[in-house]
Amino acid sequence: MSYSEAVTVSKSSVPILAVVILAVIFGFGLFLVGYDQGHLFSIIQGAEAFDDLFIHELTHDMRHAAGFPCH
Amino acid sequence: MKTLRFIGLVLLAGCFAGIIHGTTNLAIVEPYLDEAIGIENQNLFSSGEEKDTPEFWVEYSSYRDWQKGGQVLAGAILGTSVGALFGIIFAFSRRSLPGNHNVKKALVLAGTMWLTIYFIPFLKYPANPPTVGDTETVVLRSILYLSFIAISGFGALGFYKLSKRLDKGKKIVAILGYAIFISIIFVAMPQNPDEVTAPMDLVNGFRAMSVIAVSIYWISLGIILGAFWQKLQPDKPLQTHTS
Ligand SMILES: [Zn+2]
Repeated sequence: MSYSEAVTVSKSSVPILAVVILAVIFGFGLFLVGYDQGHLFSIIQGAEAFDDLFIHELTHDMRHAAGFPCH
Repeated sequence: MKTLRFIGLVLLAGCFAGIIHGTTNLAIVEPYLDEAIGIENQNLFSSGEEKDTPEFWVEYSSYRDWQKGGQVLAGAILGTSVGALFGIIFAFSRRSLPGNHNVKKALVLAGTMWLTIYFIPFLKYPANPPTVGDTETVVLRSILYLSFIAISGFGALGFYKLSKRLDKGKKIVAILGYAIFISIIFVAMPQNPDEVTAPMDLVNGFRAMSVIAVSIYWISLGIILGAFWQKLQPDKPLQTHTS
Protein backbone atom coordinates (compact mmCIF):
# COMPACT_ATOMS: atom_id res chain seq x y z
CA MET A 1 0.00 0.00 0.00
CA SER A 2 1.38 3.41 -0.88
CA TYR A 3 1.65 6.22 1.62
CA SER A 4 -1.25 8.23 0.26
CA GLU A 5 -3.55 5.24 0.41
CA ALA A 6 -2.67 4.68 4.05
CA VAL A 7 -3.56 8.30 4.81
CA THR A 8 -6.91 7.97 3.06
CA VAL A 9 -7.73 4.85 5.05
CA SER A 10 -6.83 6.37 8.39
CA LYS A 11 -8.85 9.50 7.64
CA SER A 12 -11.97 7.71 6.56
CA SER A 13 -11.84 5.67 9.75
CA VAL A 14 -13.44 8.59 11.61
CA PRO A 15 -17.12 8.13 10.78
CA ILE A 16 -18.64 11.20 9.13
CA LEU A 17 -21.95 10.60 10.89
CA ALA A 18 -20.25 10.83 14.28
CA VAL A 19 -18.48 14.03 13.27
CA VAL A 20 -21.76 15.60 12.13
CA ILE A 21 -23.58 14.61 15.32
CA LEU A 22 -20.77 15.92 17.54
CA ALA A 23 -20.50 19.14 15.53
CA VAL A 24 -24.24 19.80 15.93
CA ILE A 25 -24.00 19.17 19.68
CA PHE A 26 -21.04 21.54 19.86
CA GLY A 27 -22.87 24.34 18.06
CA PHE A 28 -26.11 23.88 19.93
CA GLY A 29 -24.56 23.69 23.42
CA LEU A 30 -22.27 26.64 22.81
CA PHE A 31 -25.20 28.76 21.63
CA LEU A 32 -27.33 27.71 24.59
CA VAL A 33 -24.76 28.55 27.24
CA GLY A 34 -23.00 31.42 25.56
CA TYR A 35 -25.58 33.29 23.56
CA ASP A 36 -29.21 32.27 24.09
CA GLN A 37 -31.41 35.20 25.08
CA GLY A 38 -34.68 33.29 25.09
CA HIS A 39 -34.49 31.98 21.51
CA LEU A 40 -34.79 28.29 22.32
CA PHE A 41 -37.88 28.51 24.51
CA SER A 42 -39.52 31.00 22.17
CA ILE A 43 -40.04 28.07 19.80
CA ILE A 44 -42.57 26.55 22.19
CA GLN A 45 -43.33 29.49 24.46
CA GLY A 46 -43.51 32.35 21.98
CA ALA A 47 -42.28 35.90 22.45
CA GLU A 48 -42.74 35.69 26.23
CA ALA A 49 -39.56 33.65 26.40
CA PHE A 50 -37.49 36.69 25.52
CA ASP A 51 -38.72 38.37 28.71
CA ASP A 52 -38.44 35.33 30.95
CA LEU A 53 -34.88 34.61 29.82
CA PHE A 54 -35.22 31.15 31.37
CA ILE A 55 -32.08 29.73 29.76
CA HIS A 56 -30.18 32.96 30.12
CA GLU A 57 -30.66 33.07 33.88
CA LEU A 58 -29.86 29.38 34.24
CA THR A 59 -26.63 29.60 32.29
CA HIS A 60 -25.90 33.16 33.36
CA ASP A 61 -23.23 32.53 35.98
CA MET A 62 -21.41 30.04 33.79
CA ARG A 63 -21.52 32.57 30.97
CA HIS A 64 -19.58 35.05 33.07
CA ALA A 65 -17.30 32.44 34.62
CA ALA A 66 -16.35 30.89 31.26
CA GLY A 67 -15.53 34.27 29.76
CA PHE A 68 -18.48 34.86 27.42
CA PRO A 69 -19.54 38.47 27.01
CA CYS A 70 -22.59 39.29 29.14
CA HIS A 71 -23.73 42.23 31.19
CA MET B 1 -14.22 3.11 14.15
CA LYS B 2 -17.10 2.14 16.38
CA THR B 3 -19.40 5.11 15.92
CA LEU B 4 -21.60 4.78 18.99
CA ARG B 5 -18.73 3.99 21.31
CA PHE B 6 -16.83 7.00 19.96
CA ILE B 7 -19.75 9.44 20.37
CA GLY B 8 -20.67 8.04 23.78
CA LEU B 9 -17.23 8.31 25.30
CA VAL B 10 -16.67 11.80 23.91
CA LEU B 11 -19.96 13.15 25.28
CA LEU B 12 -19.55 11.45 28.64
CA ALA B 13 -15.99 12.75 29.06
CA GLY B 14 -17.12 16.29 28.17
CA CYS B 15 -20.08 16.09 30.53
CA PHE B 16 -17.93 14.91 33.48
CA ALA B 17 -15.31 17.58 32.85
CA GLY B 18 -18.10 20.18 32.59
CA ILE B 19 -19.59 19.11 35.94
CA ILE B 20 -16.13 19.50 37.48
CA HIS B 21 -15.94 22.97 35.88
CA GLY B 22 -19.36 24.00 37.21
CA THR B 23 -18.57 22.74 40.71
CA THR B 24 -15.23 24.56 40.71
CA ASN B 25 -17.03 27.76 39.68
CA LEU B 26 -19.46 27.38 42.56
CA ALA B 27 -16.55 27.15 44.96
CA ILE B 28 -14.17 29.83 43.67
CA VAL B 29 -15.97 32.11 41.17
CA GLU B 30 -19.38 32.59 42.83
CA PRO B 31 -18.06 34.75 45.71
CA TYR B 32 -16.89 37.29 43.11
CA LEU B 33 -20.18 37.14 41.23
CA ASP B 34 -22.05 37.78 44.49
CA GLU B 35 -19.85 40.75 45.24
CA ALA B 36 -20.30 42.18 41.73
CA ILE B 37 -24.06 41.73 41.82
CA GLY B 38 -24.06 43.34 45.28
CA ILE B 39 -22.51 46.45 43.72
CA GLU B 40 -25.11 46.31 40.97
CA ASN B 41 -27.90 46.24 43.53
CA GLN B 42 -26.42 49.25 45.34
CA ASN B 43 -26.35 51.10 42.02
CA LEU B 44 -29.99 50.19 41.41
CA PHE B 45 -30.95 51.53 44.85
CA SER B 46 -29.00 54.74 44.54
CA SER B 47 -30.36 55.46 41.06
CA GLY B 48 -33.89 54.81 42.33
CA GLU B 49 -34.54 52.04 39.81
CA GLU B 50 -35.21 49.59 42.63
CA LYS B 51 -36.13 50.03 46.27
CA ASP B 52 -34.27 48.37 49.13
CA THR B 53 -37.34 46.48 50.36
CA PRO B 54 -37.83 42.93 51.72
CA GLU B 55 -39.74 42.12 48.51
CA PHE B 56 -36.72 43.03 46.42
CA TRP B 57 -34.51 40.67 48.41
CA VAL B 58 -37.02 37.82 48.20
CA GLU B 59 -37.12 38.10 44.43
CA TYR B 60 -33.38 38.63 44.26
CA SER B 61 -32.50 35.55 46.27
CA SER B 62 -34.92 33.39 44.31
CA TYR B 63 -33.30 34.21 40.98
CA ARG B 64 -29.79 34.15 42.41
CA ASP B 65 -30.43 30.60 43.69
CA TRP B 66 -31.64 29.70 40.23
CA GLN B 67 -28.54 31.20 38.65
CA LYS B 68 -26.23 29.42 41.08
CA GLY B 69 -28.01 26.10 40.64
CA GLY B 70 -27.53 26.59 36.94
CA GLN B 71 -23.73 26.61 37.26
CA VAL B 72 -23.43 22.85 37.39
CA LEU B 73 -26.11 22.19 34.77
CA ALA B 74 -24.69 24.84 32.45
CA GLY B 75 -21.25 23.39 33.13
CA ALA B 76 -22.47 20.00 31.99
CA ILE B 77 -24.00 21.46 28.80
CA LEU B 78 -21.01 23.64 27.93
CA GLY B 79 -18.59 20.88 28.90
CA THR B 80 -20.37 18.36 26.69
CA SER B 81 -20.41 20.69 23.69
CA VAL B 82 -16.78 21.79 23.95
CA GLY B 83 -15.93 18.14 24.61
CA ALA B 84 -17.68 17.24 21.32
CA LEU B 85 -15.38 19.59 19.41
CA PHE B 86 -12.39 18.21 21.31
CA GLY B 87 -13.45 14.65 20.47
CA ILE B 88 -13.67 15.39 16.74
CA ILE B 89 -10.20 16.95 16.65
CA PHE B 90 -8.74 14.23 18.85
CA ALA B 91 -10.09 11.51 16.56
CA PHE B 92 -8.47 13.10 13.51
CA SER B 93 -5.16 14.06 15.13
CA ARG B 94 -4.59 11.22 17.61
CA ARG B 95 -2.02 9.42 15.48
CA SER B 96 0.17 12.47 15.08
CA LEU B 97 -0.03 13.64 18.70
CA PRO B 98 3.10 12.95 20.76
CA GLY B 99 3.10 10.32 23.50
CA ASN B 100 2.37 6.63 23.58
CA HIS B 101 -0.55 6.78 26.00
CA ASN B 102 -3.92 8.26 25.07
CA VAL B 103 -4.10 10.34 28.25
CA LYS B 104 -0.81 11.99 27.31
CA LYS B 105 -1.96 12.56 23.73
CA ALA B 106 -5.28 14.02 24.92
CA LEU B 107 -3.51 16.30 27.39
CA VAL B 108 -1.24 17.64 24.64
CA LEU B 109 -4.26 18.43 22.49
CA ALA B 110 -6.19 19.88 25.45
CA GLY B 111 -3.24 22.15 26.23
CA THR B 112 -3.04 23.31 22.62
CA MET B 113 -6.75 24.03 22.41
CA TRP B 114 -6.73 25.72 25.84
CA LEU B 115 -4.03 28.06 24.58
CA THR B 116 -5.39 28.80 21.10
CA ILE B 117 -9.16 28.95 21.61
CA TYR B 118 -9.29 29.96 25.26
CA PHE B 119 -6.25 31.62 26.78
CA ILE B 120 -5.06 33.83 23.91
CA PRO B 121 -8.64 35.04 23.26
CA PHE B 122 -8.94 35.62 27.02
CA LEU B 123 -5.86 37.86 27.00
CA LYS B 124 -7.49 39.99 24.31
CA TYR B 125 -11.03 39.91 25.70
CA PRO B 126 -10.77 38.96 29.39
CA ALA B 127 -13.78 37.64 31.28
CA ASN B 128 -15.73 40.25 33.21
CA PRO B 129 -17.96 39.94 36.27
CA PRO B 130 -21.47 41.40 36.22
CA THR B 131 -21.71 45.23 36.37
CA VAL B 132 -18.82 45.68 33.92
CA GLY B 133 -20.57 44.98 30.64
CA ASP B 134 -22.72 47.52 28.86
CA THR B 135 -25.95 45.84 27.66
CA GLU B 136 -25.87 47.94 24.49
CA THR B 137 -22.58 46.42 23.36
CA VAL B 138 -23.21 42.76 24.16
CA VAL B 139 -23.82 41.78 20.52
CA LEU B 140 -20.68 43.56 19.35
CA ARG B 141 -18.64 42.02 22.17
CA SER B 142 -20.00 38.56 21.35
CA ILE B 143 -19.09 38.94 17.68
CA LEU B 144 -15.58 40.14 18.52
CA TYR B 145 -14.95 37.38 21.03
CA LEU B 146 -16.30 34.60 18.83
CA SER B 147 -14.45 35.90 15.75
CA PHE B 148 -11.18 36.02 17.64
CA ILE B 149 -11.65 32.45 18.86
CA ALA B 150 -12.52 31.27 15.36
CA ILE B 151 -9.57 33.08 13.74
CA SER B 152 -7.17 31.72 16.33
CA GLY B 153 -8.57 28.19 16.12
CA PHE B 154 -8.59 28.01 12.32
CA GLY B 155 -5.19 29.72 12.24
CA ALA B 156 -3.76 27.06 14.54
CA LEU B 157 -5.34 24.36 12.37
CA GLY B 158 -3.86 25.88 9.22
CA PHE B 159 -0.35 26.08 10.67
CA TYR B 160 -0.73 22.53 12.00
CA LYS B 161 -1.53 21.34 8.46
CA LEU B 162 1.49 23.27 7.23
CA SER B 163 3.72 21.67 9.86
CA LYS B 164 2.80 18.21 8.56
CA ARG B 165 4.34 19.13 5.21
CA LEU B 166 7.57 20.38 6.78
CA ASP B 167 10.57 18.24 7.62
CA LYS B 168 11.04 17.20 11.23
CA GLY B 169 13.60 19.86 12.09
CA LYS B 170 11.56 22.67 10.54
CA LYS B 171 8.30 22.20 12.46
CA ILE B 172 9.22 25.17 14.64
CA VAL B 173 8.54 27.37 11.58
CA ALA B 174 4.83 26.53 11.82
CA ILE B 175 4.72 27.42 15.52
CA LEU B 176 6.51 30.70 14.83
CA GLY B 177 4.16 31.32 11.95
CA TYR B 178 1.15 30.92 14.22
CA ALA B 179 2.74 33.17 16.86
CA ILE B 180 3.30 35.96 14.32
CA PHE B 181 -0.15 35.47 12.77
CA ILE B 182 -1.99 35.64 16.09
CA SER B 183 0.08 38.60 17.30
CA ILE B 184 -1.00 40.59 14.24
CA ILE B 185 -4.64 39.63 14.76
CA PHE B 186 -4.29 40.45 18.47
CA VAL B 187 -3.15 43.99 17.71
CA ALA B 188 -5.51 44.52 14.77
CA MET B 189 -8.77 43.47 16.46
CA PRO B 190 -10.70 46.29 18.16
CA GLN B 191 -10.72 46.55 21.94
CA ASN B 192 -13.64 45.68 24.17
CA PRO B 193 -15.56 49.01 24.03
CA ASP B 194 -16.76 48.85 27.65
CA GLU B 195 -15.13 50.84 30.37
CA VAL B 196 -14.45 48.95 33.59
CA THR B 197 -16.06 50.90 36.40
CA ALA B 198 -16.07 48.12 38.99
CA PRO B 199 -13.23 47.98 41.54
CA MET B 200 -10.13 46.53 39.86
CA ASP B 201 -9.46 44.18 42.80
CA LEU B 202 -12.80 42.55 42.23
CA VAL B 203 -12.33 42.34 38.46
CA ASN B 204 -8.81 40.89 38.70
CA GLY B 205 -9.77 38.39 41.39
CA PHE B 206 -12.70 37.29 39.30
CA ARG B 207 -10.53 36.91 36.19
CA ALA B 208 -7.90 34.85 38.00
CA MET B 209 -10.50 32.45 39.41
CA SER B 210 -12.23 32.21 36.05
CA VAL B 211 -8.96 31.22 34.34
CA ILE B 212 -8.19 28.64 37.04
CA ALA B 213 -11.66 27.07 36.68
CA VAL B 214 -11.56 26.92 32.87
CA SER B 215 -8.04 25.48 33.00
CA ILE B 216 -9.23 22.79 35.41
CA TYR B 217 -11.94 21.98 32.85
CA TRP B 218 -9.42 21.48 30.01
CA ILE B 219 -7.09 19.34 32.16
CA SER B 220 -10.04 17.21 33.32
CA LEU B 221 -11.27 16.86 29.76
CA GLY B 222 -7.87 15.66 28.54
CA ILE B 223 -7.44 13.15 31.36
CA ILE B 224 -11.00 11.77 31.27
CA LEU B 225 -11.31 11.53 27.48
CA GLY B 226 -7.81 10.07 27.17
CA ALA B 227 -8.54 7.47 29.84
CA PHE B 228 -11.87 6.50 28.23
CA TRP B 229 -10.18 6.24 24.85
CA GLN B 230 -7.40 4.10 26.29
CA LYS B 231 -9.93 1.76 27.86
CA LEU B 232 -12.50 1.56 25.07
CA GLN B 233 -10.25 1.91 21.99
CA PRO B 234 -13.04 3.04 19.64
CA ASP B 235 -10.69 3.16 16.66
CA LYS B 236 -9.42 -0.39 16.92
CA PRO B 237 -9.88 -2.09 13.54
CA LEU B 238 -13.36 -3.55 13.31
CA GLN B 239 -13.53 -7.30 13.53
CA THR B 240 -15.48 -8.99 10.80
CA HIS B 241 -18.43 -10.92 12.04
CA THR B 242 -19.64 -13.91 10.12
CA SER B 243 -23.05 -14.17 11.72
ZN1 LIG C 1 -24.44 38.82 33.05
